[in-house]
Amino acid sequence: MRCDHCSHDVPDGVFCTRCGAHQGTTEEYGDAKTREHRYAAHPGEHVAQPSVFTTLFPHLGHHKIHEFRWAFIAGLAGILVLYLAGLITAAILVSAFLVPVLYLIYLYEAQVYRDEPAIVLGFTIGGGIVVGILFTVFERIVYNPFQYSNNLLANAGVNVGGLLLVGLLLPVLQEAVKPLPAFFLPNRADFPETVDGLVFGVAAGLGFSLAEALIGFSSVLTGLPARVEPGTWIYDLTTLAVFQPLLQGSATGMIVAAIWRWRRGRLAGREIGGVAMAVAAHIAFSAGTQVMKETAVNPLFILIWQAAIVGALLIYIRYVLHHALLEEAAHMGYAETVCPSCHMHIVASGFCPNCGMALTAAPTSVKRARRPRVEATPAVEKKD
Amino acid sequence: MALACARCGAQNPDGNLFCSTCGNPLTAAAAAPPVAAPGWAAAAPQAAAPGPPAAAPGWAVVAPPTAARAPAWGVVAPAAPPAPAAAMAYASPPVYASPYYSPTGSQRQAPVHRTPWTLIIAAVVGLIVVMAGCGTAVALLTNKASITGGITSDLPSPTPAGSPSPLASPSAIAGATSASNDYLTIPVPPGWQVAHKDSQVIALLSPNGLGSITVASGPLNPPSTAQAGKDQIDKALTTKYPGAQNCPGTRPTNGTLNGASGIFWTLCYTVVSNGNSFPAASALFVGVNSNGSIAYLLELATLAGSMDTFRVDTKPIVAGIVWKSK
Repeated sequence: MRCDHCSHDVPDGVFCTRCGAHQGTTEEYGDAKTREHRYAAHPGEHVAQPSVFTTLFPHLGHHKIHEFRWAFIAGLAGILVLYLAGLITAAILVSAFLVPVLYLIYLYEAQVYRDEPAIVLGFTIGGGIVVGILFTVFERIVYNPFQYSNNLLANAGVNVGGLLLVGLLLPVLQEAVKPLPAFFLPNRADFPETVDGLVFGVAAGLGFSLAEALIGFSSVLTGLPARVEPGTWIYDLTTLAVFQPLLQGSATGMIVAAIWRWRRGRLAGREIGGVAMAVAAHIAFSAGTQVMKETAVNPLFILIWQAAIVGALLIYIRYVLHHALLEEAAHMGYAETVCPSCHMHIVASGFCPNCGMALTAAPTSVKRARRPRVEATPAVEKKD
Repeated sequence: MALACARCGAQNPDGNLFCSTCGNPLTAAAAAPPVAAPGWAAAAPQAAAPGPPAAAPGWAVVAPPTAARAPAWGVVAPAAPPAPAAAMAYASPPVYASPYYSPTGSQRQAPVHRTPWTLIIAAVVGLIVVMAGCGTAVALLTNKASITGGITSDLPSPTPAGSPSPLASPSAIAGATSASNDYLTIPVPPGWQVAHKDSQVIALLSPNGLGSITVASGPLNPPSTAQAGKDQIDKALTTKYPGAQNCPGTRPTNGTLNGASGIFWTLCYTVVSNGNSFPAASALFVGVNSNGSIAYLLELATLAGSMDTFRVDTKPIVAGIVWKSK
């Protein structure tokens, strides 16, 4: 068939395998070329769906995503059990490690690092940990919570100095230093795709988050008794286990993805907006949390605020990644492969003709298994 | 010798198995007319395809999702992506725009990597078990701060409120200045900083920055009691800080502070702010005047492990507080 949008002769399918455009009637979905109703990394979802795993774990296939979701839920259940048992120090440790460990498993599963795991993991997660240690030690030197005491009698009030430091200066500095390990990845030329940049950025951000949590909570880890009254710890544990790592990972992933686009000469308003969005989201997250804590707002509202910020950031990342995949997948040559999303055996270029998945977002093993086919297509019909 | 694609006519480098423009096979069988294209896009599914749109009639998805169907390509195992032992006869690798995704030609294919789901879950469960053990061990092995008491009363009283008139009890601290507002005066020893001051509240920061004194006084409308003030402060600290509770070994007591009657107690909690946390403690006093129309508040806040030292260091300052309103 001839693609309605790129005008190339391509294999028959719902999607053009060269440009990814949706073929046929798409009035109900809007623009068939950008097909935002079919997120390029996971075509079963809309781009505007704030899904954590299909955004930050883009190489996982449809089934693997569910396995990681269940693993994450198991981790959260473990934290809840530890919280209910009053083992807060243990719950803090599990919260700090949960998402970074899941991401490490993901990197192993998708083999994003291909043949150079030591260099890639060292410069992303390892580098993030080193930067996180240095920055958090610095942060604890400059930020003294007792300097910003409030009027308990009035039960309200926000210290402007503390807010500017915690809600503005420190988030901006963090977003400036967190991408550095991925930026200086020595073999970055071997990983030219935007999706690679995103994953490396998320890994660096999660390394930072892990170090930040361990250093930041070191006083509590060594100061709390083994078992305490659970109290309101569940709110801070939720932030520590879910929203803090997701924010740190997604913000850094967004910035590093923009850097990767810049290196390809594709920096545009969308990517610059992504960097601004990452910094703004971090500021809003930290400042909003600080203000609500100081004014003794119900902690549930703090979690809702944090979830809203992270959700908005995830959607913007999907928007940037979706369009980057649509642009970049076209360079892949034709080959026989298996679509990681719909599991069809296909002959395709950059996109699965069946479900529209961008095949640059396939796990490395699937990419490497692409191979030319000797048998002629009509054999299919004969077998039937 | 360049190969012309039978479908689109594009010239392809010698050795290409597929047209680099349209993907049409360039092998002998490629001479088949373009109408044979149904096998191009998708042949046999490995499993029921989740999510993606259903293929419309006439599109390239030729095989229904039935497990009994034979693999369309014959060389691709149905239960897993391309197997290493698949006997493929390669001519030569085609030309690809990017070297990273080019097929490996006649070389042995790497097996498709797939982490068993049991391993993923086991890793998370193992993480929980190991970290629970580590956390408990760390908590058991490290020295915990102990707090022996809070602010001391200058005139023990059996009732929470009722002492009539607040009295000034100035004390002399060498080199001290003073900070004052509409409702109170407090000495400021050398090295201490006035961190906050308004018409009702004065907060001092210790020279090493690891503790603060907050003193407040002001009108209550409607009139209230010291117990109500204590409850309000407890609620605020419990909401703001996880684990807020009376420090082990301490309990609320009634008494007077420089003439103001009220309640003394000590709270232990954890300050969590912007990813940082500190085990902290506050020695507190809240009182009201005889008709409940004026409130008096004192808070000594510092790290939990430093509270006993901090309480001793701040004793002259606390003794020098003057409540202006009665």
